Amino acid sequence: MPDQPHVLRILWTRFAWRHWRLAPISSWLLLLILALGVAAFFSIRLANEAAVAGFANFTDLITSESDGLITAPVGPLPTSVLKDLRQLLGNTPVNLVPVLETSAVPPRRAETEGIGARPTYQILGLDLPALVNLSSPAYGGGLPATASAEASAAAPNQPRGLQRTNGIYISAALARRDQLTNGSLLSLVINDRLVTLEVAGLIPNRPNQPAAPAGLLIMDLPDLERLTDKVGRLDRIEFVLEPGGHRAERWAAIKQTLEGANLPAAPRWVVSSSAERREAGVTMTRAFRLNLTILSLLALLVGLYLVFQGLNGAVVRRRNEIAILRSLGVTARQIQQAWLVEAAVIGLVGGILGLALGWLGAQLAVQTVGRTMHALYFGRNVDSAPFDFQEALIALIVAVAASTVAGWRPAQLAANTPPAQIASRTGTASDPGGRWLQRLDLGLGLLGVGLLLTFLPPLRMEGGARLPLASYAAALCWIFGAGVFAGQILAGCGRFFQWLKWDSVPLGLACSHLRKPSGRHRLAAAGLVCAVGMTAGMAILVGSFDTTMRGWIARTFQADVYLSSDGDQTASSINRIAPATWESIAKDPSVKQSNAIQGRELILNGVSTLLVGHDPRFFRDYSKPAWVSAPQDDTVFDAARNDHLVLASESFSERFHVSRGEVVQVPVPGGFQPVTIAGIYADYGNERGALLVERRQFAKWYGTEMAASVILALQPGSDPEALRAKLRAAHPGLGVFTSGFLRGEALRIFRQTFAVTYALELIGILVAVVGLAFTMTSLLWERRNDLATLRALGLRRRELSWAAALEGGLLAMAGLSAGLLVSLALGWLLIFRINKQTFGWTLQTDHPWGQLIILALLVLASATLAGWFAGRWSTRLPAEREE
Amino acid sequence: MRIFKQWLCFGNLLWLAGQGLSAAEFPSETADGYALPQPGRHFVFPCDHGSHPEFAIEWWYVTGHLVATNQATYGFQATFFRRALLPPHSTERSASVDFGNDQIYLAHMALVDKTTGEFRFQERINRAGWDAAAATNTLDVRNGNWTYRLLPAAVGSAGRETFALQATIGDGVAFTLDFTPQKPLVVFGTNGVSRKAQDPTAASHYLTYTRLAATGDLTLNDTHLAVTGEAWMDHEFSSSQVGADQVGWDWLSLQLFDGREIMAYRMRRADGTTDPFSTVAWVDRQSAVRQVGPSQFKWTVLEHWHSRKTGTDYPAKMQLEAFNPASGNWETFVVEPLVADQELAAKIGGVGYWEGACRVRDAAKHEIGRAYMELTGYGQSLKGKF
Repeated sequence: MPDQPHVLRILWTRFAWRHWRLAPISSWLLLLILALGVAAFFSIRLANEAAVAGFANFTDLITSESDGLITAPVGPLPTSVLKDLRQLLGNTPVNLVPVLETSAVPPRRAETEGIGARPTYQILGLDLPALVNLSSPAYGGGLPATASAEASAAAPNQPRGLQRTNGIYISAALARRDQLTNGSLLSLVINDRLVTLEVAGLIPNRPNQPAAPAGLLIMDLPDLERLTDKVGRLDRIEFVLEPGGHRAERWAAIKQTLEGANLPAAPRWVVSSSAERREAGVTMTRAFRLNLTILSLLALLVGLYLVFQGLNGAVVRRRNEIAILRSLGVTARQIQQAWLVEAAVIGLVGGILGLALGWLGAQLAVQTVGRTMHALYFGRNVDSAPFDFQEALIALIVAVAASTVAGWRPAQLAANTPPAQIASRTGTASDPGGRWLQRLDLGLGLLGVGLLLTFLPPLRMEGGARLPLASYAAALCWIFGAGVFAGQILAGCGRFFQWLKWDSVPLGLACSHLRKPSGRHRLAAAGLVCAVGMTAGMAILVGSFDTTMRGWIARTFQADVYLSSDGDQTASSINRIAPATWESIAKDPSVKQSNAIQGRELILNGVSTLLVGHDPRFFRDYSKPAWVSAPQDDTVFDAARNDHLVLASESFSERFHVSRGEVVQVPVPGGFQPVTIAGIYADYGNERGALLVERRQFAKWYGTEMAASVILALQPGSDPEALRAKLRAAHPGLGVFTSGFLRGEALRIFRQTFAVTYALELIGILVAVVGLAFTMTSLLWERRNDLATLRALGLRRRELSWAAALEGGLLAMAGLSAGLLVSLALGWLLIFRINKQTFGWTLQTDHPWGQLIILALLVLASATLAGWFAGRWSTRLPAEREE
Repeated sequence: MRIFKQWLCFGNLLWLAGQGLSAAEFPSETADGYALPQPGRHFVFPCDHGSHPEFAIEWWYVTGHLVATNQATYGFQATFFRRALLPPHSTERSASVDFGNDQIYLAHMALVDKTTGEFRFQERINRAGWDAAAATNTLDVRNGNWTYRLLPAAVGSAGRETFALQATIGDGVAFTLDFTPQKPLVVFGTNGVSRKAQDPTAASHYLTYTRLAATGDLTLNDTHLAVTGEAWMDHEFSSSQVGADQVGWDWLSLQLFDGREIMAYRMRRADGTTDPFSTVAWVDRQSAVRQVGPSQFKWTVLEHWHSRKTGTDYPAKMQLEAFNPASGNWETFVVEPLVADQELAAKIGGVGYWEGACRVRDAAKHEIGRAYMELTGYGQSLKGKF
């Protein structure tokens, strides 16, 4: 007996590899499907990484990587704090990098252009001459042109004025895209003004840092202060230590000094290390990213189901050879090992292919994921997802491990093939999943466990995010449980159509196989249940969301005209309308009533939410809120009596576990303010939640009258379009929208955020149908001698093809029935548990029947077609041909 | 040789003529409105230790030689530059206090370990505002975490002033040094104006403490050392330092063990000759200053040092032969760098130069003092830059 590695090598080259070469199409298909699963997983993770990385690295791109930063506890930091910090830190060698940030967009090209259609730029205001101090290679970077240009202007040998008024530095990407050079003019909307900036230079790439994205612009800080009316205010101050060792210890000492100088009652600043800051970004979006990862894992799961099917089919096709090998003395253990190696190789090759596909996919996904995160959480633009070796390794390990696990059962089946079984064509030994999928008690048990899991609360994560882990597990239980029942439905289908006794040979033939479905039949049906259940469940969620959103939008946008800065495109926009502007507009004769809305991010118990200043009467009369807990009286709407009374959104109440009547301590500049929740309203505008307070109160607390948006109700008979045109002409920096336009845009943006889920659903369906094709191929291969006999008895190829098509169609029908049934349960789970637990939104259930019917027809047609092709292929098989 | 002597004679005449320019012949400001040094200026302290923003260029410069408790010896240099970007009456001045546009501050900090030969330096630039400023009422100049101040407690007690330098170089070096003048302040030049070129605008007010006792702490790679030593402090303000045909200067500060000091500079022309407005100033033990022109000193380069970093050749070892008006004798000083590589390959300001700790020997090769030497304009001409 030769040694073990030698046998394995022979088994691999003569046995496995030969079969792969003989059937290249199915081999490639299997690899591709697995690669697709890995690609989905890898691309989503890469896109996530890139989107989150974008949270922290804007300043890192320009300066050196900062060690820490300070922000104000609430609102902006006064610039006066800079001198105090320097004094406090004495001789400590550390660079302080003050940062002011704003967003801007180019002016609209057409009045009807959609919100979010224009690129959003992030403008960083930095002290440019001081940046030169970070140019030494020891800081890890070349001198940014931004700084060098200013530095040469500032250097002692070239005494020119330091500030180039409205000079802007752009990325090479933007210069290429928009063909901009030094001296080119760039028109942008900042706050409510249209400004023209002059390109003063390029932001070069720093070594080992991602290239500056096209959306990043840089200005000298005092220039941006002036443009944004934020003179004397900073968003944050970053700290860059001198290069050298013990960075963590040195930063810890600085942090301790800074925190030590804070008065506990009225802290001047919040100190965080860059790692903590990045962690905050990661935490803020953890639930969102986990949801996506779970969805991408499902795609991988379906891919693995396919590996299982593929390998199992191979076991069937190579059973004769296995038996011969066993007769020649190859042990069962060696056979099993050879199959496991084959599974691992499939995982490895499919994984590598998947990494390549995934990286390409990530470049597309990052746009979608980044845009969604941008809209939901923070304003960061990410253009590309760099290849991450750690993530690639994870994806590869997942692919190989999962493929090996999927190959385990087929390997076991192969090993258990007795030498004498050559003659057997339908032995149970090669019938995968047969036993498990016939156990009704298992199916019932899974459904029951799933039901119990739905009662469990979500996992509460750092930063207030909630992850409905138990509900995800419940979904999985239900999908598997329904998979078990699909086998029963399959048998029922077979019996039912045979009972109809239609005079059709193909139908009779198909039913004869389905009456007592094999394990392979059951497995194929279970795979379809999984794909259809998920897809239809998601369609129900999206449909319900859509209906709810339409209702909410119709209720919310009842005023006539809405104003915001024209640079305001996302939740993270920081462009505002100056009080002089909105006060003059409110006095327009056609305006009956106006509501200037102010808003700020609020960190409550370490969790981010929103505090909004508004006119509660206007809100009641024109937004017609849907009350979760209606105010008990009108006090909150009475400006004279509503001091410290607020309205809370449903998300707020869910996230912070507060209900009507409770008091919340709100941190505002100058300390905490107690506010009482007078009512809770349904809101689908943001998942972070919001507290609405009388605007006068808000302006007093924050010392600003700058409005985020203004809503106008017009006098009866006034034409909103006429006012819109008038205001646009008078204020080109203002975005002026009629309610009709805004309704359409709100719905469009909402639908855009579901783009990722649609793609994943498509992958799921595709994989399930390909899996079904694999199943049919294996089944027909097993029956090749029977098929030969049938042909000898006079059955035509067409009839045999139709028999296979009907078998595939009926299989799909069984999978569809159970899948659609479970999708109703999944829809409920997604709406009332997963969605509610993640976002705190109550949705109105709506089943998109039309979409579900189309889905069913699509699956049915493609399964029948796949069966037909497999049938046609099988009719050309000689009785004893190898493959 | 005859020609050389004639040239020396002519140069000295020019130098004397220049030094003797009357107040009326000095313009009061440059064409773009910056102030120019005026003869007979009455200096008022501590204000005149502070900043003079009406002038375009100003620097505070301290060099010295330190001995640590473990007998290790060091040389250090701290220079705070101020450069005006807008003339005093400009209407383009920014309203922002924290991010000004009228002044820019550059600073250089260097330390040389005479034992190991390790030379470290760092440069820094900041606009006027939150991270860089210079007070006008006293000496209080800062750039990032580097500060140089006249300690408030000493204000008003003439002759007992204490200046405090606080600085770091990268992560590895930190020093806190106090300087107490050992001799009174001297004002170089004639009638308070130190001329650098034929053009009367190329002149400065040049105030110096030629010998200060230094004491303080030096932290080197986490090792704390108590240090003592002697320092030299210049404060110079002007609106132009270099004449139209000049490319740079060589400058020396000699502290002799016999209690005398010498300050010498050689303004170099593009053709390699010494400008007649170069000078050697003798400071005797009582701080009386006597200056001589180029005809009464000879500056001979003995050795060059080639910088691999910048490719520049510096005449780093030199010999100064000068006529001492007090004794009526010529004296010879050989100035040798203690470490060859003391080049400040500065990138930020765009002007690299050599500035280093040196020892001074006499003609008999006896060590008779310590020095700091500055060699500028070798890598790149300073024409139009100062």
